[in-house]
Amino acid sequence: MPAEPALEVRDLVVAYGRTTALCGVSLSVGTAEVLALLGPSGSGKSTLLQAVAGFVVPSAGTVRLGGTTVAGNCRPVPPERRDLGVVFQNYALWPHLSALDTVAYPARRRGVGRPQARSEARAILERLRIAHLADRKPAELSGGEQQRVGLARALARRPAVYLFDEPTAHLDTHVRGVFLAELVARQREAGAAAVYATHDAEEALGLADRVALLSEGRLLQIGTPQQVYDEPVDLFAARLTGPASLIDAPDGGGTVLVRPGWARLGGPLEAEVRAVWFRGPHSDHLVAGPLGELLVREPGPPRHPVGARVGWTLLRSWPLPGPTG
Amino acid sequence: MRGGGSALPRAGATAAVVVPLAALVAFPLFRLVQVAWQEGGGDLSGVLGADGLGTALRNTVVLAAGVTLAAVPLGVVLALVLRRSDLPGRAFWQATVLAPVVVPDFVLGYSWTQAYARAGFTDTLLGLSWAGVQGPLGVWLVLVVNASPLAYLVVAVGLAARAEPDLERAARVSGAGSATTLVTITLRLVFPAVAAAAVLVFVLTLGTFAIPQVLGAPAGFSTVTTRIYADLSIGGDPASFVEAVTLALLLVLVAAATVAPADSILGPRLRAARPADAQAAHPVPGRQTVRRAEAVVLGGYLAFSMCLPLAALALSSVTRALGVPPTPANWTLDSFRGVLTVRTLEALGRSLGLSVVAATLLVVLGGLVAVAERRRAGRATASLITLTLVLPGSTLAVALLIAYGRWLSGSLALILLAYLAKLWAFAHRPIAGALDRLPPAELYAARASGAGVLTAVRTVALRPLAPALLGAWLVCFLTALHEVTMSSLLYGPGSETLAVIVLNSSELGRIGPTAALSVVLTLLVAVPGILLWWASNRLRTRAG
Repeated sequence: MPAEPALEVRDLVVAYGRTTALCGVSLSVGTAEVLALLGPSGSGKSTLLQAVAGFVVPSAGTVRLGGTTVAGNCRPVPPERRDLGVVFQNYALWPHLSALDTVAYPARRRGVGRPQARSEARAILERLRIAHLADRKPAELSGGEQQRVGLARALARRPAVYLFDEPTAHLDTHVRGVFLAELVARQREAGAAAVYATHDAEEALGLADRVALLSEGRLLQIGTPQQVYDEPVDLFAARLTGPASLIDAPDGGGTVLVRPGWARLGGPLEAEVRAVWFRGPHSDHLVAGPLGELLVREPGPPRHPVGARVGWTLLRSWPLPGPTG
Repeated sequence: MRGGGSALPRAGATAAVVVPLAALVAFPLFRLVQVAWQEGGGDLSGVLGADGLGTALRNTVVLAAGVTLAAVPLGVVLALVLRRSDLPGRAFWQATVLAPVVVPDFVLGYSWTQAYARAGFTDTLLGLSWAGVQGPLGVWLVLVVNASPLAYLVVAVGLAARAEPDLERAARVSGAGSATTLVTITLRLVFPAVAAAAVLVFVLTLGTFAIPQVLGAPAGFSTVTTRIYADLSIGGDPASFVEAVTLALLLVLVAAATVAPADSILGPRLRAARPADAQAAHPVPGRQTVRRAEAVVLGGYLAFSMCLPLAALALSSVTRALGVPPTPANWTLDSFRGVLTVRTLEALGRSLGLSVVAATLLVVLGGLVAVAERRRAGRATASLITLTLVLPGSTLAVALLIAYGRWLSGSLALILLAYLAKLWAFAHRPIAGALDRLPPAELYAARASGAGVLTAVRTVALRPLAPALLGAWLVCFLTALHEVTMSSLLYGPGSETLAVIVLNSSELGRIGPTAALSVVLTLLVAVPGILLWWASNRLRTRAG
């Protein structure tokens, strides 16, 4: 008998008055798996996390955690009795508590005495290399430090499932990478499942075992990062997961999708360079020819000026099953 | 929009604010102190020892403390239930608990006598009456009902500004139940707002007049404000005048002694604001049975405190005589016919005219302060204006009478000056708040697009400010319309306002006419209040 998934959501519907935020979403997350929820603002990522956490009551459908139904055909289990840890987008640190007391808070709620809870909290802060911030209050911490304290608080809960609600949205780029590495390392170390909501395709594809694409409260596609990148179900899913061009297939087989790395400059097909972007380790060339406009990514600095006539080769393409308009 | 705009208009605004502030508040208070010193000869203990003045002062302080101790917890509970739970029909309840704000103080007090006193509504129908409604306990209870919306509003603003829902959610997913979250997170975060509400309720109760006058004076329960009223309205000898002046001064000293330390302790803690990117969130869902129980208790409280008294008042105004059952067979419009005299209509006209003029001038003055406080000198002035909010109306009235009575005694102009002095902060706060929320980049963009200062303000700033301007005007207009504390001390023959006519009618013991006048006054305040609130909301929605 297969093990119960850590989290299972089935036919979930959430409505705020007349607005439906989630329409029949179903997905599951296995133990120690990281699932990224990727979607634009308003796609329902946060609502899905809130329904799982117990902050909103679904209008229909069920939420199961470790095989136990926590919302659906029963009285909703309150958030404090769900085996979850949440890291919030805006940190949600309590302004009147120090970092140490914030991280000790979950242990205190388990009935652990203050000295023991503080000792556990200090150990977690040390693991995250922020023990020196123990006595500081949120107003005395930078954004990155605040988010690490938020992560420490979630770790202190020792949950079976972590929910990360766009935790890097307010972090500077240079802090973001460090925080993400920390987050994944700690979550893997704990052997827990995680659901990571983000609108950043690079983050989702680089971090998750599987990626779920959401749009307007509906689940568009779910699969491994490679699957959702290489084989998007429609143009929206394609653009959500990275740059994509639509051109006429060279063999006359209709419209196909081409990622920037799926073509290279030099070859039999003719085109004119319309724009060039230097991006550090590589350069992007927007070329236009009889088949249409497409983006070609080449290693190193730009090789052709705007207006140059170039040849190019199509390495691979993906015939989009969905609408391309 | 701190830092926005050029220095010239702000310097002009500072000057335009300082002069009226000196004339309306500083000079009259200076004269009050001067006269109290000269006439009383500095013998404060002698004055206080006379004829129960010490009792009045003690009653006032004990009453203010008692009202604070009950109204603030009630306001906290209302704020938590209405802002932090998924109570069905929250918008309805949120509007309904504010009902005491649009019912004049005097009318609320009088309606309680019609509902619960002997020969009142419950006595006539059920044989149940409460003699204590006219006495200290009744005064306390009605003041609690009257002050609870203010406490609720201050705590609700504190909840919105300091206790964003994600902080509570973080506690819930950390293992805290709803009660633990309330104690360890919500109440801790909102404590500065609760303390501020307590200070505000305490100080405003010190200066309250209408309810103690209607419910306390007939039972011989006096406070400082009712004593000042008695001294100036009934007394007339120099000793009464000295008493009134001394009490007015004492009142402001007690208020200042409360506000000054509270402001220095709470001020910085209250300025911590919600992050700009914080979003409104739905409350954590609770149990249906708890929500139903909350709705029942809330409905019961509102029925007991507001609906039943107002219904009793309305029935009194149409019932033929005291003590007869208020059934349709005994209904008549005689009381309304009786009060619709030329004198009443003239008073109504004066009230409306005064309120319109006062509200319009106050919006201009409030706007000037809001602009002036963009610079350091103006900020000090703005703080002084905010302090006028807690200046007791009786004190202001006596001070203005001393300062300008020689020329303006008994005139509408003196009442107008009193309204301007007392309500200035009411106009200033909403406008200043709206200016703070106005992104400076919008004005910069207008200037960078070729607009001068005035054109930029007219074309870019005025529209988003419109709801605040209308809201400020509305608050001033409605407050002036039912103001009675200062009007009752400053009116003369031919300058009575409608609220004064109602107060005088009640003191003459004319129950039917007083009830009819109260209904008219309430409708006058409530109908435009609701309409303008609706218009202001629409403007805000469109501006947003």
